[in-house]
Amino acid sequence: MIDTNVVDFEKYRPARLEVYAYKCPECGTLHYPAPMICKDCSARRDPSGVLFSSWEKVPLGGKCTLLSWTRVYALPEGFDARYLLFGIVEFENGLRASGRLLVEEPKIGMKLVSKVGVVREKIGEDVYGFMFDRS
Amino acid sequence: MRKVGIVGIGHTVFGNLSEFDLVDIMSFASADALDDAGIRKERKIVDQVFVANVGAGMLNHQTAIASSLVSRIDLEPAMAETVENGPASGASALKCGYTAIAAGLADVVMVTGGEVMRAVTGWKATDFVATLLHPEAEYNYGLTLPAFAAMFTRLYMERYGLTEEELAMVAVKDHDNGIKNPYAHVPYTCTLEGIYGSSDAQVVNNLIADPLRLYNMCPVSDGAASLILCALDSAKMKHFKKKPPVVIRGIGAATDTHCIHHREDPLELKAVRLSAERAYKMAGLGPKDISFAELHDAFVILELAISEEVGFFKKGKSRDAVVQGLTRIGGKLPINTSGGLKAKGHPLGATGVSQVFELVKQLRGEAEEGRQVGNPIHGMAVNFGGFGNNVVTTICSKE
Repeated sequence: MIDTNVVDFEKYRPARLEVYAYKCPECGTLHYPAPMICKDCSARRDPSGVLFSSWEKVPLGGKCTLLSWTRVYALPEGFDARYLLFGIVEFENGLRASGRLLVEEPKIGMKLVSKVGVVREKIGEDVYGFMFDRS
Repeated sequence: MRKVGIVGIGHTVFGNLSEFDLVDIMSFASADALDDAGIRKERKIVDQVFVANVGAGMLNHQTAIASSLVSRIDLEPAMAETVENGPASGASALKCGYTAIAAGLADVVMVTGGEVMRAVTGWKATDFVATLLHPEAEYNYGLTLPAFAAMFTRLYMERYGLTEEELAMVAVKDHDNGIKNPYAHVPYTCTLEGIYGSSDAQVVNNLIADPLRLYNMCPVSDGAASLILCALDSAKMKHFKKKPPVVIRGIGAATDTHCIHHREDPLELKAVRLSAERAYKMAGLGPKDISFAELHDAFVILELAISEEVGFFKKGKSRDAVVQGLTRIGGKLPINTSGGLKAKGHPLGATGVSQVFELVKQLRGEAEEGRQVGNPIHGMAVNFGGFGNNVVTTICSKE
């Protein structure tokens, strides 16, 4: 029997529900997702932080504008739904991202706000990502 | 640089071939090409083989298929390698073959592309193709190639006023060509009323990824195609007297961002434009010189968008060409005379090779009745990988 008094539940709490952009330490350009070389100043990123300085992880999200969208009925293996909506958005800082859309009747140009939620369920692992809803 | 000619071509039917072994299918097309070139008995003159395939490891549990193919058709000790470049694998393998000959590493090269995708369920096949997207920023969400094509189409409609009816007209044209192609996966015609605007259309032509419907996209196909190349200055050309060679006059390739959201203008297919510009430059030709083209219409919107990026039509104007019949066989610039991916089918690794197979058939004057373009001089094929992040353009000409 597990002694719940000694189990460190904090250790098992899911990671903070955020999606991150990566900030180049040399020129400050934000990237999403993380590249290995900055497109603006050619600085290198080192995920281990050993050979080159680590890039700051900056939470990405907030208000955004819908650039295009679709409602997909033929979903790939691993998704059990009649359909899912997807969109590409542009955040106020100019970065763009693809993600799940929570609006049933979307329109190009509409204002949205991002959330982070489970976008794919795998055995033993939930995958978190962007969900865009009405602002 | 040495001039390279295509001296033999082979093709299997495209469709559901899932009961057959992948390497058997590729071997069949390869043997067809050897026969067409007239060198089945002298086949050991082939110095090198390039095999285009994407899914053998994931879908068919087979690896190192180039070695397997060479052995199956008794071509040892030819050099052999597999080329995987997503849906552009076929044209990439051809580019490798061209490069090997041009560099003097080989005189005679076989290029064979093949795929057996229907060995798995539609769900799995959709997932397999989606693995070419960015794993964290796209694939994880359940995004697919049809999803991105749909978002591209919606933007295109918004900007240029393209209608669903005009999209359906592209499919009708492709099926009119495909029914005359003995290799086509979907060899039947469809009427505009049958797939657009009628009550039947609501049932037959259901939404897959809004606004794209079933008839706006290609089927999942199995099949193979093969080409034999030879250096025109090689003594080995004496073996290829059966038919005049078709010359590879230009090859260009280019890449674009992996993530679609990184593109400044999501409607700009930069890799298509650059690959075509490179091919035109190498060939010393321009868009007006092209007699006909095979454009990678995995989604019919791509036939329109690619035809604009390669310079055939101004942005947003390709739909007028479709409405006016300019891209039909007999029109000013026939596009997808084979039926395109829409009607002929799209076995990923085979597609780029199959497109050039069609160029050769047309340039030789060997296309089936009702499909032959009148006196073509130069043909262009655009093989589109990813959602436009890796594109190869090939221009072939009569010698």
